[in-house]
Amino acid sequence: MTSGTSSVHRATTHRPDPGLVALGEVRTGLLQHSAAIPHQLAERILQLVPGERVRLSQRPIAHALSPELMAGVDCRLAAASGTHIDGTGTVLTRASITGGTVVQASARAVVGPARADHRLPWSHYMARPGMIETRGKIEVDDLAAGFIGQPTSSSALDLSALSRRMMDVIQGSSQLDHAPRMRTKRTRLRWTARTVTAEQPHGLVEFAIEDDVLRTLQLRTKIDRIAMVASLCENLALHDWLLSTLLELIEREQRGAPHAPQAVLRLRPAIDSLLHLWMPAAHIDESLHPVWEALERRAGFTRQWEQLRDRIRDQVTLSAVTLMSVVTEGSASE
Amino acid sequence: MIILSTSDKGGTGRSVTSCNLAYRRALQGSDVAYLDFDFGSPTAGAILSVSGAERGTTSGAGLHHYLQDRVAEPEQIDVWSASEREGLRGRPMGAGRLVLVPGDQGGGEFPVGTEMVDRCIQLFLSMEAEFELVLVDLSAGRSQAADLILSATAARQLQAITVRWLVFHRWTRQHIIAASGLVFGERGLIEAGTERGHDRADLENSIRFVRTAVLDLSSPEMAGLRPPQAAWLQSCNRELQELATKTKLGRTTMLGSIPLDPVLQWREQLISDNDVVFSQIANPQTSQAYEDLAKRLVHDEAWMSL
Repeated sequence: MTSGTSSVHRATTHRPDPGLVALGEVRTGLLQHSAAIPHQLAERILQLVPGERVRLSQRPIAHALSPELMAGVDCRLAAASGTHIDGTGTVLTRASITGGTVVQASARAVVGPARADHRLPWSHYMARPGMIETRGKIEVDDLAAGFIGQPTSSSALDLSALSRRMMDVIQGSSQLDHAPRMRTKRTRLRWTARTVTAEQPHGLVEFAIEDDVLRTLQLRTKIDRIAMVASLCENLALHDWLLSTLLELIEREQRGAPHAPQAVLRLRPAIDSLLHLWMPAAHIDESLHPVWEALERRAGFTRQWEQLRDRIRDQVTLSAVTLMSVVTEGSASE
Repeated sequence: MIILSTSDKGGTGRSVTSCNLAYRRALQGSDVAYLDFDFGSPTAGAILSVSGAERGTTSGAGLHHYLQDRVAEPEQIDVWSASEREGLRGRPMGAGRLVLVPGDQGGGEFPVGTEMVDRCIQLFLSMEAEFELVLVDLSAGRSQAADLILSATAARQLQAITVRWLVFHRWTRQHIIAASGLVFGERGLIEAGTERGHDRADLENSIRFVRTAVLDLSSPEMAGLRPPQAAWLQSCNRELQELATKTKLGRTTMLGSIPLDPVLQWREQLISDNDVVFSQIANPQTSQAYEDLAKRLVHDEAWMSL
């Protein structure tokens, strides 16, 4: 665990009231490079803070995670009811590269009420990375709903801008050749996790596909797991992106002459760089696996993925057979 | 690929032609984004019949505000689902995406700083990552938007991306001279681009001209002219051709020519095949010219070194 997440625990254990809500946004996109990058290069690109370590793991899939960056915020928070709520504290941002191919940029904070009714010196907030304290009472459901429905051009806490900036930094890196083999969308997952007591039901509340690129996820979690939720959301965003991207590539492949054996060649980059990345719940704390399972039951992520993957494989096989028969016929008539 | 549309004078039909090119490219199967960089008067929303964005968006998330760092993300409008024109609703079979990234209503020009150049680089990188064709419509003349783009496209991160310029001009003396000045003049695009780090020869080679509202002297509509009128037009046309060659706007640097169409004189709009075949309000030559030009935009042979 990083220092950031452990101090979130520190800040919360004193308080018996579990009325906290974690807010976050994850952006996912294809790394702007012509091939999967090796671990060492991922490490260099993600070295956002000199001296702080990039966390690397090879199994079950290559994953590189940048150190956490902290940004101070002192702003209004969006509330669904329109209540004026001001918060002061810090937001954590980080980036990761999975399989040398997929980039994610994420920004998040845990929001809870302050014990003091006035703004404290910055040292107070700096000692609680990723924690935003509000003055006055808050209703966590109101804050969660406000964040989920926040319009793009809003003056409230803008995690979207922070995650976008992080994404731009990684994608704009001079270490990349900016010649990716396929064109893809960047998706955004906006998520909230509100704390509940041990007796209350927890887990998935809702996952929704809002438009082409925006997805929302609402969770309830026990307070001791709130720090791990970010990794779960990042993992979920990664798989949602893989699925969306594959669907898009198949749709594009079918434009023009869909049944031409050559059309399948357009899927080649997807076969080379995406099909092996499906690894649900990798690097996720086991206590949160039920959320994945609930999603599988409702949204059928893996079912759909397998169906698409099989369809691509069938198409490749059929095209190979068609091309071979053309060759055989050609040589027979000679 | 990024295509930058500009012109020296207003009223050249730059925006309407650019919109039609974006539309044709999308019909030809490419995913296309149209970026309205005409900060003084964003009009693409009106041409594409997107309600609520006729003179730029009012959402506060247009390109102005994005470049000034007031929003994280510029708004993207899916034209196939947002257009109010019957014939544009619903993506046709085999067509790619057609997305409008609008300007902000009441925007105007603004000073360009290094941060804005960075935002522009990020914008181009993220658009290029998603769309096969990114068409950027600039305002007329040597605008700040043009300077911004010349700086951004000189950046190292954008060197792997194909960037091409289209300069629109009408087929008249004044327009030919003005377009030539905009590109080759002392304060022209090539000079300004070289100052910002572009290679002079590469930049010059990435610029092509498009003639608009051109009278076709061999068309049936011209048949009713009196012989002295026809002779006068012929001689004018020859003079213009000589002038164009002298000012480096001759055949080799011309990418296409759009005929004069009454529909476009009365209203800036997309010319769909419906307008030609069913309602017959537009001339087939016009839609054919767009179709051909849209193909040449991405055809490397038309952009070979001169």
